[in-house]
Amino acid sequence: MTSTSSASDTADARPLRTAFVGKGGAGKSAIVGTFARLLARADDEPVLVLDSDPMPGLAFTLGLEIDDAGIDDAAVVERAEGEEGPRFRLRPGLSAEDAVEAYATVAPDGVRFLQIGNLRGGVGSIMRSQHAFHQIKSELPRNRWHVIGDLPGGTRQPFLGWAGFADSVVVVIEASAKGLLSGRRFAKLAGSVVEPDRLFAVVSKARSSDDAQQVESRTGLRVIESIPWDDAFADAEREGLAPLDAVPDAPAIQQIQSLVHALQGVLT
Amino acid sequence: MKVAVVGKGGAGKTTTSSVVARVLARGGASVVALDGDTNPNLGLSLGVGFDETERLVGMRQALDADEGDGDDHAADWDDLLDRFASTGPDGVQFAVVSQIDNPDPGCP
Ligand SMILES: Nc1ncnc2c1ncn2[C@@H]1O[C@H](COP(=O)(O)OP(=O)(O)OP(=O)(O)O)[C@@H](O)[C@H]1O
Ligand SMILES: [Mg+2]
Repeated sequence: MTSTSSASDTADARPLRTAFVGKGGAGKSAIVGTFARLLARADDEPVLVLDSDPMPGLAFTLGLEIDDAGIDDAAVVERAEGEEGPRFRLRPGLSAEDAVEAYATVAPDGVRFLQIGNLRGGVGSIMRSQHAFHQIKSELPRNRWHVIGDLPGGTRQPFLGWAGFADSVVVVIEASAKGLLSGRRFAKLAGSVVEPDRLFAVVSKARSSDDAQQVESRTGLRVIESIPWDDAFADAEREGLAPLDAVPDAPAIQQIQSLVHALQGVLT
Repeated sequence: MKVAVVGKGGAGKTTTSSVVARVLARGGASVVALDGDTNPNLGLSLGVGFDETERLVGMRQALDADEGDGDDHAADWDDLLDRFASTGPDGVQFAVVSQIDNPDPGCP
């Protein structure tokens, strides 16, 4: 298995392994796409973004035009009769790291982008890429690679093992009635997945200076950053453009930049 | 009629469903609104309030905690509504049919 953290290795900066979760539409993909590129600019370790949502979204924020970045079927072999283990796995000799180098889509700033696959051909069509996705998630070496996960909205995936690669979780929360109620549920569920000091809230689409305070008091989570509601950012997203390229000085981007520093500060 | 509302996160599924349910109810239809989200917020949009929404979520979860079956299976639809639905504004009957702590494993 992967190495575990101990007092002796805290001297080396450990790459981030962070899952972004939250209510549908909270802003997870918008934040992750921008965050990953800013992290790649700020740090030498390579950045892998995992998109386990079969619906398109994150690719646009990253600045990619594709909406299908699943692992190529050719990278995957089917279990032979009588063999143990999962039905599909990476072909023999192809390590998780090789698979990322060879098959993950390269996004701007050198970010590697890997999707679970899309459902264009029905659920059966993502069987191979889905298995490869899970294998890469669990086998990629911990001492290299920042791994940032953008999970689909809701509580289903994050707390069913899909966030298992992560040692830190960011709950993205809007300070609306539904956002706050959802945030409280996420806080409760995430408590069983990561250590309390590795669980954070990010306020999304903040409209008042009071939002962070509301999120903290309603969810009990520590707010590590607030991203303001930002019209320029929203307009870029609406056009399908990466906000980081279209409006690099927008206020939301500046706050996502400070989120990169803040998380690196606490976690590495 | 039976309508399912689906779409991307934040697209407005919950809000739209709640308004459709209440408008139908005001027109005289008897309406049942079911929240099938693993993060169920429909109660807030219908106007039943935080506490009632959370109470119904809790009720749905308690069902799984209590595995004992046998003769306490609900007889029919009306019986289910009696036990698990709450009546909200405009007479819309509202129940939570998903639950969040132990969602079924499986596809994404
Ligand atoms: N700070 C912001 N200011 C304005 N609009 C924003 C901001 N952050 C996100 N948005 C917009 O909110 C909408 C939802 O964002 P996004 O798709 O990132 O949410 P999500 O949490 O990934 O949703 P899903 O649950 O469907 O995956 C998008 O239109 C996005 O552009
Ligand atoms: Mg998303």
